[in-house]
Amino acid sequence: MNNRAVQLLNRNPYLLSLLLLIIMVVINRALQDNLFEIGPLNGNLRVFTPAILVAVGQTFVVIAGGVDLSVGAILSMTNAILATQIPQDATGDVFVRALALAIGAGLLAGALNGFGVTVLRLQPIVTTYATSFIFAGVALRILPEPGGRLPRELTSFWRNPLAVSPDFALPMSLIVIGLLILFWVVLTNIRYRQNLFATGSNAEAAYSTGIRVNWVKFSTYLFSAFFATLAALALTLGTGTGNPRAGDQMTLPSVVAVVLGGTRLAGGQGNAVGSIIGALILGLIGNIISFANLDSWVRPLVDALIIIAALAIPGIFGVMRRLTR
Amino acid sequence: MKAISVQVEKAVKTYGGVVALAEGNLTVQSGEVMALLGANGSGKSTLSKILTGVIAPNGGQVLIDGKATSFGSPQEARKAGISAVYQELSLIPDLTVAENIWLSHEPIRGGFIKWQEMRANTQQLLDLFKGLYGTNLQPDALISTLTPDERQLVEILKALSFDPRLIILDEATASLDSRQVNRLFELVQTWKSHGMAIVFVSHRMEEIFRIADKATVLRNGRTVGERVIAESNERELVDLMIEGATILQRERLPVVDEQKPVRLAVENLRTNVLRGVSLQLRDGELLGLGGLQGQGQSDLLMALFGAIRCEGQIVLSGQARTFHHPRAAMKADVALVPGDRGSEGLLLIRSILENLMLASWSRYRTPIAFSKARADGGQIAQELKMVMSSLDAPVNSLSGGNAQKVVIGKWLLRSPKLLLLNDPTKGIDVGAKAEFYNLLDRLRDAGTAILFYSSDDDELLGLCNRVLVLHDGEISAELREDKLTRENLVAASMGASA
Repeated sequence: MNNRAVQLLNRNPYLLSLLLLIIMVVINRALQDNLFEIGPLNGNLRVFTPAILVAVGQTFVVIAGGVDLSVGAILSMTNAILATQIPQDATGDVFVRALALAIGAGLLAGALNGFGVTVLRLQPIVTTYATSFIFAGVALRILPEPGGRLPRELTSFWRNPLAVSPDFALPMSLIVIGLLILFWVVLTNIRYRQNLFATGSNAEAAYSTGIRVNWVKFSTYLFSAFFATLAALALTLGTGTGNPRAGDQMTLPSVVAVVLGGTRLAGGQGNAVGSIIGALILGLIGNIISFANLDSWVRPLVDALIIIAALAIPGIFGVMRRLTR
Repeated sequence: MKAISVQVEKAVKTYGGVVALAEGNLTVQSGEVMALLGANGSGKSTLSKILTGVIAPNGGQVLIDGKATSFGSPQEARKAGISAVYQELSLIPDLTVAENIWLSHEPIRGGFIKWQEMRANTQQLLDLFKGLYGTNLQPDALISTLTPDERQLVEILKALSFDPRLIILDEATASLDSRQVNRLFELVQTWKSHGMAIVFVSHRMEEIFRIADKATVLRNGRTVGERVIAESNERELVDLMIEGATILQRERLPVVDEQKPVRLAVENLRTNVLRGVSLQLRDGELLGLGGLQGQGQSDLLMALFGAIRCEGQIVLSGQARTFHHPRAAMKADVALVPGDRGSEGLLLIRSILENLMLASWSRYRTPIAFSKARADGGQIAQELKMVMSSLDAPVNSLSGGNAQKVVIGKWLLRSPKLLLLNDPTKGIDVGAKAEFYNLLDRLRDAGTAILFYSSDDDELLGLCNRVLVLHDGEISAELREDKLTRENLVAASMGASA
């Protein structure tokens, strides 16, 4: 590989994940003929959306040099709030109030994480692992067992594709993904982005340049909690019900998606669009495994191989750089 | 530019029980270049960091334009018009040159960064040093891809981008070449004429006489005087830096036996920091390395130990050697006692015995002869007069001095022929130091060749027959016998002629 290609990949590590995504789509298409028809497309993307949202939130924390292991539990908690606060006969008012309550609870959870990391100066991994038990406990307190039923109008609004014209419909989740990309593009053009990357790259230098490093770190936990709450909303609308353990299997995949997307686990480099791609890859792997009629034990194995490969990418880059020098 | 006058009065800074600054005074105003001078640990950096709001003083006050001010953060100092070029660079490796220079004050419109304008402004700043840097230095280049001198230039331009009324250049010339320094000095003259105030911290006496109008001298955390450069000379400033310091009573040192074999001969050794160092060391000689911190002393020791890459010739015990790994150096009976015990020398939570044996297990075969190892460990602990509850106690239960003995003991167990000491007495108490000096004497008498870097001039004066003073990666002076005086040591460490 020549020097320019290496440099291009170095600057835009998510290009590699894009390639991986295309490969996954091709394999998936080979196994599932109707993948691109609106029905399966809509269904797949809708199922992937919560993981995408959690991964986007996680990106902020990882870029700033931390990690949030409580996102799954925050998702469970806010999922439980939404499912219990929105009865089957809920009006628009009730829905908005429930949503506000869930977002408030999510942000409070994020603030607790931020407090632990910036004020108590605990390790992010320890802080968020510990708080995840608090949030998981709260979820079970609110909703001891899976249950709740959302109004049909509400869930179908989310489940059905948006008809743009009589013969063209757009999955709602695709609109969400578009909005997420737009959000990231806006963010990369404001000062916050500079402060975020500076903090993750070299916090001490950032501090002496006048950046309020603690505020930046604090804010990343608010972002991850906020996006976990949005993920809970997507999940609640998708399933139409609540599950206090909904987020149990969401946390580590979000970190994997972030790394797959080219964000450096040590902080200072990263991209939320890459994380979206990473989450899509993980989702497609699940699809492929179920369509290929592989035994269920294969899934963790494949996941593990992907994680190892993703973590090895920066090292491979390092080796390539040395060889091309 | 609005005129500025800054006064620091009786500033104090302590860390726990350690006094970094006892009484810092400094006055500087528009159109003036004030040099800040002092030996290692005299408080120069602390004083300049108080001015820039990085450190909050425990006492005293800072007056800006006659008004008492206290900066809670670097940002507040910047608002008052003070910015600094730091010695430890404040650049973000993963951001570009333009992003670094404008970090925290990016040009924005409606919240959005104006990238074009930012790039153009950066290019304008870079043009100040036009023709004096490589093609690699572009507004869009990542900092991590730049050379040290290019980073230094970016750091200077970053400080300048804040349009300061007072700029602090803390060792800003350290990694620049002479043409870049010349250009910087031209710029300093221009800034001066525009009414900027400049505080200039440098270890190069020659530069101070070229650029500064006045000099403030610090000694042991106190401001001891201010001089007008035009009415002063090198000797007077050096005297101020050391005046009244206690002269250690030197015992008569044993004369080096010229018959003893040359253990180590180094010819033109180069690393990133070292610029050609040559030396010779005989068995039974204790050769000192002096100079201000970071002039290449650690690099020299690490290079000899195979821990960093180097070029040049190293002849050890009569054989030309190149060590690519400390393991190879250890096999050739070289030992290095590192300066930073905590991070380089010890496994803090493991037992004293384990730490002592870390480098020597191979001598106890497989399966390890533990009782023999324990006996040897006990003997060395006794020899070094280690104060401990037992050999099985963890190292972090020991005091600093005793922990350092473990590091030394670890290497003595291998009975090295060449012992490299990298500021070994840093942070240990007086009693432990005295014992350590006795140990050095014994090792020397036993014929070990010792290369000894110390940041404490008294140690070098009291223990060594011969001291090499490093300055900017080169040996600026070799001092021995009558020439080995405190005055000469300090003068040489500032690059002045002895």
